[in-house]
Amino acid sequence: MTGRIRIRVIQRIGFLVRAGRGHPEAGGPRIGGMNRPEIRQWQPGSTATEDEDLDLAGLLALVARGNHQAFERVYNSLAGPVYGLVRQVLRDPAQSEEVAQEVLLEVWRTASRFDPAKGSAAAWAMTIAHRRAVDRVRSESASSRREQKVALDREDEDDVAEAVAATLDRQRVRRCLDGLTELQRESIQLAYYGGYTYPQVAQLLGVALGTVKTRIRDGLIRMRDCLGVAW
Amino acid sequence: MKLARDEMHVLTGSYALDALAPPEREAVERHLQHCASCAAEVRGLRETATRLALARARRPPARMQQRVLAAAYRTRQLPPAPAASRPPRARLRIRSLAPLRTRLLARLGTHARLWARRPVLALATTSMAAALAVSLGIGMTQLAAQHRPAASVQTVRTSAGGAVTLVTNPPQQDAVLTAARLPSLPDGRVYQVWVIGPAGARSAGFLSGTALVLTGVRAGERVGVTVEPRGGTSQPTTTPIVLVPFPA
Repeated sequence: MTGRIRIRVIQRIGFLVRAGRGHPEAGGPRIGGMNRPEIRQWQPGSTATEDEDLDLAGLLALVARGNHQAFERVYNSLAGPVYGLVRQVLRDPAQSEEVAQEVLLEVWRTASRFDPAKGSAAAWAMTIAHRRAVDRVRSESASSRREQKVALDREDEDDVAEAVAATLDRQRVRRCLDGLTELQRESIQLAYYGGYTYPQVAQLLGVALGTVKTRIRDGLIRMRDCLGVAW
Repeated sequence: MKLARDEMHVLTGSYALDALAPPEREAVERHLQHCASCAAEVRGLRETATRLALARARRPPARMQQRVLAAAYRTRQLPPAPAASRPPRARLRIRSLAPLRTRLLARLGTHARLWARRPVLALATTSMAAALAVSLGIGMTQLAAQHRPAASVQTVRTSAGGAVTLVTNPPQQDAVLTAARLPSLPDGRVYQVWVIGPAGARSAGFLSGTALVLTGVRAGERVGVTVEPRGGTSQPTTTPIVLVPFPA
């Protein structure tokens, strides 16, 4: 998937050169004595991830109209991230598969509700995935206490690291996580990858509720700035 | 469940990570309706969480694909959420757009990507235009079949924040204007769209967060957006927050 995207990026750059991008005129006649507004042209600076998300948003619009080919492409983009996240939270492969399928079908079913003004397509899909996974965890833990510990660092590299971009992503996230305080990092990982509520996180870490709330927010803000997340 | 305002602000992080129990989550969601800065923060933190998610991507079992795709054929989709009321003076002439839409929208993705710097912004504008393309009836195969780069896509920031994207397809005189992340206006104010030429400005309708179709725009004219009283005015009364030239 990522290899294809990289190739497309190169093709786009080629296209850009051929098309010869002109700059819009910034001046022109005044309208009824008004001042000239500022016009700034955006420069191309997109990465594979951004491109991928743009593709995804466009495809979702087609999926919303019942286009199955578009959905297949959406599936190909999202299945890895969705399955990976669900598996991270649930750990159990069979259960993860089941929940990931539900999530992807939910993407099909609710594509018309994706609103690009509210965030990226990936964020929309990953929110569905994470909530589903967490719902599963919490409904289960009501009956039987979850015993599995969150194994955050040891992954089977074979099926995790499949794409270069995914590896780069992972390295960047890792580096930014390393920049957090230990309490921030642990709180975020337990909450997001572990699927725990913040009171549970507080209990696990033996710190006050208020402390965890603050650490999660501060840590995430630091992550956001470290990753250069646009929002 | 009542929570102090300060406490709400601290909860944005836990909310973005789905680490709240239902009562607190609902309280935060209610709060987000009225607190634009909190909602913006949540958006950023959600995008951040998404990066955490993507870093965990993992190859799914191969059999999953067929199951999901097959299940999609058996699953009815939700209709769109109820739309906000339509701008009264938007000049929509869908029928006249048939030649435009095929060529113009085919290039949407590529162009808009190239011009974009901030991904979320770009995403919003592009996909809104794409969504409109879709609503005008363009299919996947049509999209795929187009090779000639005829359409022009310009994304320009406004002085008020956010950006607009103008998709044109000269010499066709139709265009699609979309906006992303324009600041919300106080009650009684609207974003009015103008086509501005040597002879003056004429109203083309209102931007209400969705795409606007402009017709009869000629080369050399420009598309501008001003803030006007609700209901609009016959001529612009404020400085345009953005002006985009209609290419030749």
